[in-house]
Formats: sequence, structure tokens, C-alpha cells
Amino acid sequence: MTEDLTKLLNNLSFSTLFNSIADATLLVDERGQIVLANESAEQLLGFSVDELKGLGVEALIPNMYREHHVYLRHDFLKNPAKRSMGKGRNLVVLTKNGSELPVDISLSPINSNEEKFVLVTFHTINRLLEVESSLKSSEERLRLAKASAGLGVFDIDLELDVAQCDTLVCKLFGFQRNIRITYQCFVDAIDVIYQPKWHAMFEKATASSNDGDYQIEFRVNNQQNQTKHWLYVAGRVFFSKDQAVRMVGVVQDSTKQKQLQQKLNEQRIELETLFKTQIAIQTASAIAHEINQPLAAISAYSEVALFALKSEQPDFERLNRSLLGCVAQAHRAGKSLHELMEFLQKGKVELEPIDLNEVVLEALDITQHNGYGGFKSLLDLEPNLPKVLANHTQLQKVLVNLLRNGVEAAQNIGVPIAEIQVLVRTHAELNMAEVIIQDNGPGLTNEVKERIFEPFFTTKEHGVGMGLAISRSLIEACGGQLWFDINHRDGAAVHLTLPFAKNETISNL
Amino acid sequence: MTNATIFIVDDDPAVLDALSMMVEQEGYSVKTFACAEAFLSAYQQEVLGCAVLDVRMPQINGLTLQKMMADKGILLPIIFLTGHGDIPMSVDAIKAGAYDFLTKPVTREKLLASIRPAIIESDKKLSQYASIQEAKDLIESLTDREKEVMLLAVNGFPNKEIARRLSISHRTVEIHKSKIMHKTGAINLLDLASIAREGGAFD
Repeated sequence: MTEDLTKLLNNLSFSTLFNSIADATLLVDERGQIVLANESAEQLLGFSVDELKGLGVEALIPNMYREHHVYLRHDFLKNPAKRSMGKGRNLVVLTKNGSELPVDISLSPINSNEEKFVLVTFHTINRLLEVESSLKSSEERLRLAKASAGLGVFDIDLELDVAQCDTLVCKLFGFQRNIRITYQCFVDAIDVIYQPKWHAMFEKATASSNDGDYQIEFRVNNQQNQTKHWLYVAGRVFFSKDQAVRMVGVVQDSTKQKQLQQKLNEQRIELETLFKTQIAIQTASAIAHEINQPLAAISAYSEVALFALKSEQPDFERLNRSLLGCVAQAHRAGKSLHELMEFLQKGKVELEPIDLNEVVLEALDITQHNGYGGFKSLLDLEPNLPKVLANHTQLQKVLVNLLRNGVEAAQNIGVPIAEIQVLVRTHAELNMAEVIIQDNGPGLTNEVKERIFEPFFTTKEHGVGMGLAISRSLIEACGGQLWFDINHRDGAAVHLTLPFAKNETISNL
Repeated sequence: MTNATIFIVDDDPAVLDALSMMVEQEGYSVKTFACAEAFLSAYQQEVLGCAVLDVRMPQINGLTLQKMMADKGILLPIIFLTGHGDIPMSVDAIKAGAYDFLTKPVTREKLLASIRPAIIESDKKLSQYASIQEAKDLIESLTDREKEVMLLAVNGFPNKEIARRLSISHRTVEIHKSKIMHKTGAINLLDLASIAREGGAFD
């Protein structure tokens, strides 16, 4: 050692040395009180040096270990030696703001005169590296899991409006990798028909009153490879102070599933139509037989009567018998019809209070997914609508029937996108709810307007012509009405009213 | 031919009643039956007329009755009445020998326009049947030997050949032939051949 160096070392005070230690370091006396802390300790623990001085070390120990620590500290002082604390256990230190930091701690006893001190040093770097590497391996596991499940993941920062997307999400949505991906990029990729559905989902998921969970299925028009995919997305929106700040989602390509489902649906509809046609034929045939027999008798009796009257010597016996026969047969026909109608209408339908808005949404969803191709729906529901009195299944079928008619009408004249507007309104003065369904099809001609509710009347190539006739009788059975707006100009507008359930009057709002 | 009888089979009493009066007014005699069995058990002897059958009847329907009548060899021409203008059904019925197929309600005009020629058809069938029956009786009146000679003769064999085949004398053949012609009343060999065919001698 040179003389200069020895001189320098003698002049170096303990506190200068102490403060220059890179690791957070505390000097603790034998009562467990902090007597000195360096700047690094200040940064790590969040307390100022002055705050730390005089603080008991137990203040830095998580609550549940404090008592035990006092015992350990006394044990250490009985046999002080330089060693690391905890021996490989996952130690944590409590910071001022209450968070727990993973650290390694080494203890060095210092003896000065009669007083014993312990130098406590916190090492954080190794622990950070460890945490980082375990994060890396778990990320790798996640990547493998995602790849094998065909899942893509995105994470949108709603405040900065920037999204992190993995390769699959970029591929599915058609995002270019090197550009900034914003929330609007997602919306723009979605087929215009499904954008309202996305907006509705987003509105619901980002409402602070909800838990932020969401799931949705929609079609995207991929701008990169000009293909259309069905995507299923599920995820969650995160909030900070009631403000949606982050939207995370898992994406799956559901195109094949969708196509299979669509095919099944088409087959089911085909079968249903066939079935309905058969029912119509069978019913008509039953009615025909019941009516034709008396008609055959009446026809023959009448001719017998005419003949009896016209002959040179009127045959009053046969005239009387045949006319009595005519009367009896006419009555028989009437009775048969009556019985048949009673039979067909038996099994009274249960009416129940129903959320009309909900059934409208269900019906839209069914129509959208039943192989009738996409259409754009403009919804105008009335929030807090009292419940209406109807049969759920029947009402759903009626609405689906009306929506399909609208979509088909529009598609048949080749409009680019069938557009259906659904309005739900309250008619306070009638104590009724009203649904109005408008399409952008060709509308109704005068002849069609007059005959539209006639059984077996249809303008469709493969229709039975019973849909509207049945729909109207179902709505009327609930005490409501179904009609077409005859003054409506663009497309067709069908109106449907239903009475509110008795104890659900408007004053209950 | 007002001596004809019209047999009406229909399970609907009103239709049965009305149609029977209608047909009676034309001067035909009418017999009505509510089901196939009643008709079959009543119809024992062939008569001039026709059967008017409802297609749709419980248990035995009109088409089945048609088949049963054919099996029994009943000659009555059949007119079907049906509630539906069922084309495949009418094709089947006509193929199976039905005279006509009418839809209910049927007008007097249409029914009679069908009944009248059906009766003529019935008359023709009955006389054919009678001549066959007659020929059969004639053939039956021949002895076995005479039948053998007749068959060979109408097949064109000369007397000499017949004699050789049956190992009898030429003269005996001539005597048999003369008796055959006398018993059957045939005026020549050709006439005899037709009687033999009608009487089923070749069967």
C-alpha cells in the first residue's frame, strides 16, 4: 500500500463509505432500530433517510412475519456472523407504499466498542433476473399454448389508443405488422353488417356498471388477402377509476365451424319447410274430406229434387226426402268444420310477462345466423320497457318470420345490403308496446297489401303462404295486432302491438 | 236396358241414399251396400248392370274390392267414385280394369254418361260368358274318344292319319266325326275349331 492511499483511507469517513454502497444498506443497532440508511435504501424502500433513522426494522417486515422476526433477530445477536438471511427462501421487504419487493438480504455484524451493530444489505438484481426469466418461460409456454389452440391475443390500450397484437391476430384481421394499430383498425376490419353488433358489445363491456367481460362473433373482411373470416372473440375490459382503459381479447377463427353450422341450419330450414308443407297438405286434405262428403250428398240430393219436380207427375216423396237430406248434410258439414277447428286449436297457449327488447334481440340473432345471409340491423329499443304479455316461443317465431320476410324482400331485388330497422315503442294510451320492422325492399303492391294475410297467399318462390296468416292469429291471440303500414313508401313496414302484463303498468317505471 | 241393376257401395249413408234415388229416377233397379263384405256376400249370380264403388272406405277400400271381385270372376263393370282427383290411384284402378273413375261430387249427367255404356259393356260380357258356357257344355257332351278325334281333326290331320294315330279304322273315324258334328251342331271344321277354343278344349 502506498502512503497516499493509506492517507486517503484514513481520511475516508464511515458515512462516506456507507453512502457510496450501490446496494440499499441499513445499519441497525442491537435493539433492532435503524441508525443509518443510504440513498439506495431510500430509493428502494420509499422512505426518506430521516424517516428510516430510528425506525424499527420490523416495520420493513410484512405483518405476518414480524413477531417471528423479533425472535430471529435476538437469535442472530447471540451468535453474530456474516451470512445471508433466509437461506434461499423467497424474502420480501415492505416498502413505504405497502408493496412487497422480492429481495435477497445479507447480514454483516459490526462490533464497535461495547455496542453491536448489524449491516443489512438488500440485493435486488438477481431476484429481478430470476423473475424476468420465469416470466420469459411462462410467456413461451403461453405462446405454445396459443399456437396449438389456434388462439390469437390482442391488448388494446384504450387511453393511448394503441394495440398490441400477436401474429395470428394481425393475420386474421389483416393488420400490417409495422403500422400503429388503433381501436379504429379493429372496427374497420369488421364487416359493415356486424359493426353495429361490435359497437353494442363495446358499449356494454365498457360500461362501468358491468364486469367488463365480453364475447362476440362477427365476420371480418380481410384487406390483406381479400378473404372473409368468421371470428370468435372473448375477453375483458379493464377499468381504472370507472374508466375503461384496457381491452384484452382472445381471437379464434370460427369460419369452418360457422360454415358447418350454416349448412346444418339450411338443411334444418329446408326440412322445416317440407314439414310445414306436409302439415298444410294434410290439414287441407282432412278439411277437404270432411267437406267433400256432405257436398257430394247435397249435390246428388239437389239433382234428385230437381228431377222429382220436373217429371210429369211430381214425385213428392223423393222431393221431400232429398231436400231433408240437403239440410242435414249442410249441417253435417258445418259441424265437421267446427270440430276440426276445435281440434286444431286445442292445447291452450301459456302467456307470460316477457321482456320485448330481449326477444327482439334474440330474434335478430336467430335471423342473422339462420342461413338468410347477412343484413344490417338498425336497432332502436326502448329502455325500461315494461314486460308484455305473450308466449315467448311464439313471439320469437313471429318476429323471426317478420324479419326474414324483410330480409328476403330486400335480397330479392338485389340491394347491396339488406337493411332492417327495428323500433320498439310504448303506446301509453293503449297500454301496449309496439314493434315496427322496416326493410329496404321493394315494398308492397296494392294487390299484395290486400291479400297479404290470406292463407296460402305468397309472393315467394318456395313459400307456403301461411307465415303471416299464422303470425297474425298468434299476435291476436295475445290481445295484440299485426298490420302493414299502407302509407309507408320505402320498403315495407310491419307493425305489431302487444298488451303490457297487468301488474307492469307504465307508472311502474 | 232398364232391366239392369246398379250396385252402389259407399260407407257414407247420405251419399248412398242420394245416389240411389238419382239412379232409381232413371228407371234402373238399385242395390246399396255400406261396405265391401255386404256387397260380396249378396252378389251370388251374375246380373246385367254395373258397380259404383267409393274408393275411400274403412277396412276394405274400393281398390281392394276391385281385386276381390276380379279374383271371384265377377263380370260387373266397375265405376269408381273418389273424393280427391287422385291421378295415380285412378291410373291403377283403370289398369286393373275399372270402367271409369269419377270425382265426388258427381253430377247426374256424368254419372249416367258412365253408367249407360257400362251396362252395354256388362251385356257384352254376359253374352260372351254365355257362349263360352254353351261351348263348354257342348264339349262336355262328347265322349273321350270323340274329344281325341276332334282335337286331331281341328289340327288339320286327314282321316287316314287320325285312324293311324289312334289305331282305329278309317271308317270308325268317319263315324266319330259325324257324331261330333251332330252333337256340337258345327256346320264345318272351322266352326268346330272355334267351338273347341271357346269351350276350352285346347287348355
